[in-house]
Amino acid sequence: MFETIPGIAISAAVLLLLVAFFRLRGDAPAESVSDGGYVPARAGLTTHGKPTGLTRWLTTVDHKDIGLLYILFGTGAALWGATDAMMIRTELIVPETAIWGLETYNAVFTTHGFTMLFFFVTPVFTGIANYVLPMLLGADDLAFPRVNAIAFWLLPPSLLLVRGGLITEVAGKVLAVLPVPVGALLALEPVGVGWTMYTPLSTATANQQIDVALLGLHLSGIATTMAALNFIVTIFTERADDIGWNKLDIFSWNILVMSGLVIFAFPLLGSALVLLLLDRNFGTTFFAVEGGGPILWQHLFWFFGHPEVYILVLPAFGLTSFMLPKLVGRRLFGFRFIVYSTIAIGVLSFGVWAHHMFTTGMDPRMRASFMAISLAIAIPSAIKEFNWIATMWNGRLRLTAPLLCILGIMSTFVIGGITGVFLAAVPVDFVLHDTHYVVGHFHLIVVGVIPLSMVAASYYWFPIITGRMFNRRLAKAQALLLAVGTVFTFVPLLILGYLGMPRRYGVYPAEFTTLNQAASLGAFVLALSVVLWLVNMVQSARVGPVVEDADVWNLKETGQFTREWQWFEEQLEDRQAELSRGTDGSATSD
Amino acid sequence: MRSVRRASVVTALLALFALATGPSVVAASSVTEQLISRLNRQLLYMAVPIAVLVEVILLYTVWRFHDNDEPSPTRENRQLEITWTIATALVLLFVGTASFHVLAHPMVTSTPETAHGDYQPGEAPDDAVEVQVTTEQWAYTFDYPDANVTTSEELVIPANRTVYLYVTSEDVIHSVHVPELGLKQDAFPDQYQLIRTQTTGTGEYRMYCAELCGTGHAEMLSTVRVVEQQEYEAWLEQGGSNATANGTASGDTAPSGSNSTDGTPTGDSNATNATATAEPTAGGDA
Ligand code: HEM
Ligand SMILES: [Cu+2]
Ligand SMILES: [Cu+2]
Repeated sequence: MFETIPGIAISAAVLLLLVAFFRLRGDAPAESVSDGGYVPARAGLTTHGKPTGLTRWLTTVDHKDIGLLYILFGTGAALWGATDAMMIRTELIVPETAIWGLETYNAVFTTHGFTMLFFFVTPVFTGIANYVLPMLLGADDLAFPRVNAIAFWLLPPSLLLVRGGLITEVAGKVLAVLPVPVGALLALEPVGVGWTMYTPLSTATANQQIDVALLGLHLSGIATTMAALNFIVTIFTERADDIGWNKLDIFSWNILVMSGLVIFAFPLLGSALVLLLLDRNFGTTFFAVEGGGPILWQHLFWFFGHPEVYILVLPAFGLTSFMLPKLVGRRLFGFRFIVYSTIAIGVLSFGVWAHHMFTTGMDPRMRASFMAISLAIAIPSAIKEFNWIATMWNGRLRLTAPLLCILGIMSTFVIGGITGVFLAAVPVDFVLHDTHYVVGHFHLIVVGVIPLSMVAASYYWFPIITGRMFNRRLAKAQALLLAVGTVFTFVPLLILGYLGMPRRYGVYPAEFTTLNQAASLGAFVLALSVVLWLVNMVQSARVGPVVEDADVWNLKETGQFTREWQWFEEQLEDRQAELSRGTDGSATSD
Repeated sequence: MRSVRRASVVTALLALFALATGPSVVAASSVTEQLISRLNRQLLYMAVPIAVLVEVILLYTVWRFHDNDEPSPTRENRQLEITWTIATALVLLFVGTASFHVLAHPMVTSTPETAHGDYQPGEAPDDAVEVQVTTEQWAYTFDYPDANVTTSEELVIPANRTVYLYVTSEDVIHSVHVPELGLKQDAFPDQYQLIRTQTTGTGEYRMYCAELCGTGHAEMLSTVRVVEQQEYEAWLEQGGSNATANGTASGDTAPSGSNSTDGTPTGDSNATNATATAEPTAGGDA
């Protein structure tokens, strides 16, 4: 019961925020001059000829609107997943089970993993790509606007299905007061088998919510695949005439490769999920000991799962490579090499899945070959880092908030990447696998690279989306806290792993206390940084200074005033024209 | 602002150095652990300087070019790119070969010794200690077939011997993990997996379950006690743990004790029994 409150509270808060945002956006008519004489700063949201209010958001097929919906949804999911993370770190402040029982602890890290991977990262990147990709390509919209809308609207029900256990529990308890049968609701407990859902644990656990969650994951996979197809077709067919493959920007390249991975990986996950559902409900034996065996699930899962980690991180690399040159006034160094290395990562990522299974007792010769490919995939990753540094060399570094984010990415990626090499070295993996070392390694990337790239993008394109400027000082402080907090939270976990502390442990031997407390302290720094970001976004979107000059980042002086900014400049000019027409006539009366 | 950044990076690097020293503090307890931690140290000797170098270059770039008034346009430099690609490849090649050598060591990778490619208990060489480790939600059972002893209290093995642990599960997947001995092996139902190692010193080490196995996963701990040969024999003679094996196993202990393959005369070790067992009993209960 205890555990249900924060999640519900967060989702309620997020919903309120959404509603507030929609009202704010939808209600003010486009031409009115409100806000003490400013024109409404809404360059990014053209409202001409569209329904207003909630109807607009529910029926929109405009890539910018859907992009915003994706970003809002993903942010809400992130806050929910981050609440889980804070619950994990709070429980781990002391060695005993102080706050949540072991069962709840298992449920919390499972939903944390599901939410962050499937409902935070990919939706937010899809949202950003929705918003800017057509502009970068010189297209009017994505190739299939309606598919785009369907793909988005499948996500909220998926999330509710996956996380249902908590919600139904609360609903059941509330309804229990009334004379209605609620047994079915209470039978659904939060899923606690880990995001990897290893059989036979996931087949042997009776909890019906697992079936509901599997359906939710399947649905979210369909949504992700639809969005990916849309991006691929758009990039192939909707490019402006002057954008050949050699002129395609680096962010679009990354989205293209990422979408390719989705198309091969997610249908496989979907099929595996169906097999698991059949095993659970219809007595098939795909993953049963007497049938295909538990190891089959691991092969299928990781054949999806490893490409999935590149699906998560490639857009972040893309954003970094895209923004960095603009922020330092240089061209991207070795553009060609970066494109090749992105493609190389995409291809190789399907050949390394078994490095998650080194301790299962697989054939030693297989271990050696998977080690070789896993080490090989480190080369294109390292190249990116070097290229980024070379891009900055001789540049003009203005330490703006987005650049600070990117510097944070570059410094955490060094540790996150190198610690991965240790895990690829099979003998070392024998001792580190399934310890907190692994958690530390991948969070240095899933927190130190992915959200930082999103935050950088949120600052970089904030003027285009809202027509206003964010608070720069707050943004800088926030970026620093996020980068520093990542290191303080997750480097202690590396040490804990070396000392032997396994992951997914809600209680632990007392000698690990200090390091766990250090990590929890770091997590609270991260939480503070998230709050500062939220405040900055919401407040600046409401009352931030209106942007008059479209060249916010001095892109013109280095000839990098790209299409999305040109579009923004036109919007500002239109607005200016409208405003002067307004003052001439009498449209400003209200 | 920059000093904060610098401080954070310095802290990160310090932490990396802490990693470099952390594992080496633990005294070697098995050949497996020695091999793995030596490999780990070799990797750290490369990784830490490389990480420091890249971070320093990064910081230097930021320091040198921030608010730089004369940016110069990017020029492609094919040679530089090829150089660092090859350099990275060479470093990783070293990681690969060093790891492969350790991986190929029989005390790190166990290969089935039978033609049918499966691990089967009872196939351990005669001079090795063989124990079957059965995992279930959420406990371990340790079977010493040669001595006909079964216990679920702790795994006791002799020092300086080759040990074969045949790992299996009764229900879901578990994983037998003894970090200080450098051992980890997942346990699958209906199947035996082999952990092979050679103990060096004596000591007491914690055994964890390292694969999520349900509610009790985090409490699925046990102890590995590596003791002198004589103490080991005495312990077996006693029928393993005093608590569990007293009734059933003690009758069998005397005959099967003499089956033990190490060739120590049984009579001798019996003499030392009284003193040898008194100690670990007290220790085990604590
Ligand atoms: C707010 C910052 C975050 C903190 C403090 C945090 C903390 C943690 C911790 C401590 C665990 C390990 C739980 C355990 O093994 O007992 C964990 C697991 C995990 N986290 Fe995070 N996390 C954060 C953000 C993220 C993000 C952004 C992602 C993904 C993009 C993510 C993905 C995962 C995954 C996949 C797992 C594994 C779940 C499992 O074992 O089934 N986390 N997190
Ligand atoms: Cu277990
Ligand atoms: Cu377990």
